[in-house]
Amino acid sequence: MGASGIRTLSRSLCDILNAVGTSERHGTNIVTLVNFDYRGFDTLGEEYILFAAVIGAVLLMRTHRGEKTSARPGKVSEQPVPLRTDAVALGSRPALGLTLIFGMYVVLHAQLTPGGGFQGGAIIGSATLLLYLGFGYRTWRQVMPTAVLDPVEAFGAGAFVVAGLAAMAAGAPFLTNLLPLGKTGSVISAGEIPLINIAVAIAVSTGFAVLFVEYLEETREPDAGDEE
Amino acid sequence: MNHAAFLLPAWLFVIGLYGIITSRHFVHLIGCLTVVQSSTYVLLLSVGYRTGAGAPIFADHPVGSPAVDPVVQALVLTDIVVGATVTALLLALALQVHKRKGTLDPQRLRPLRP
Repeated sequence: MGASGIRTLSRSLCDILNAVGTSERHGTNIVTLVNFDYRGFDTLGEEYILFAAVIGAVLLMRTHRGEKTSARPGKVSEQPVPLRTDAVALGSRPALGLTLIFGMYVVLHAQLTPGGGFQGGAIIGSATLLLYLGFGYRTWRQVMPTAVLDPVEAFGAGAFVVAGLAAMAAGAPFLTNLLPLGKTGSVISAGEIPLINIAVAIAVSTGFAVLFVEYLEETREPDAGDEE
Repeated sequence: MNHAAFLLPAWLFVIGLYGIITSRHFVHLIGCLTVVQSSTYVLLLSVGYRTGAGAPIFADHPVGSPAVDPVVQALVLTDIVVGATVTALLLALALQVHKRKGTLDPQRLRPLRP
């Protein structure tokens, strides 16, 4: 098949997906339908690339520092801590709420409008940095203990596999939709796609949060008596 | 569609590669790598582009109206996620190099010894 043949095939695939996606899967965002239904298995691999990269980065940083030290807030060594100005503290608090709500909106409307679990998860994960800006390092670490973040991230990543295996247990191919498709245009529609998006958003947002915690912990000094 | 659109990813790729080759700092090198990676986003989006077509999202216009290729857009999403996490992993590696060797200049790093 020549280059023109491939182009024709890709054009017709594009036309078929755009034409039948909404009626077949009851979602209006074809990109999400491709990612979480037609190409769902690939997205599972994509999520585990993210999961593996987070684990790799965390392992690299934690092995050097020791497991115990990352469980609680560290101290800054010689350099003085700049005080937060009132403008930063005041500005980041409303921004935190707005960013969190926007992230949840992007996740929940995955099958309807632009967005999805990965994009919304990245927004929610970044919003946790506003917590650090507005309330300071110690509060930020207390709200997000790594002992909770790690299993929650694993839960998000595992839920995607469970959704796939549930279909196999019911006798259908991996990741086949088992739920009713619902009314097109509703937040609760397109079967399992919203649920899988929420699971992906949980994995991505906590993955980002774990990375932020580990990177900022690198700037802190271990307490006396911590394993090095 | 106009072939000039493919010049932009080529330019992004070459300028990122130039940065990688001439880089004297690992963080700068990782930044250049993301520029190279962003060329693939633009390339994929240009491949799926159709003149006069809208986004493949039928929330506010009816099914059947012309839309660009949704498959390459889904691929770009995968691409961006992988790019972001690889960057995070590389930066963690750069941190370790700096802790052990005290420098991030590839020229000043001695070869690794067992």
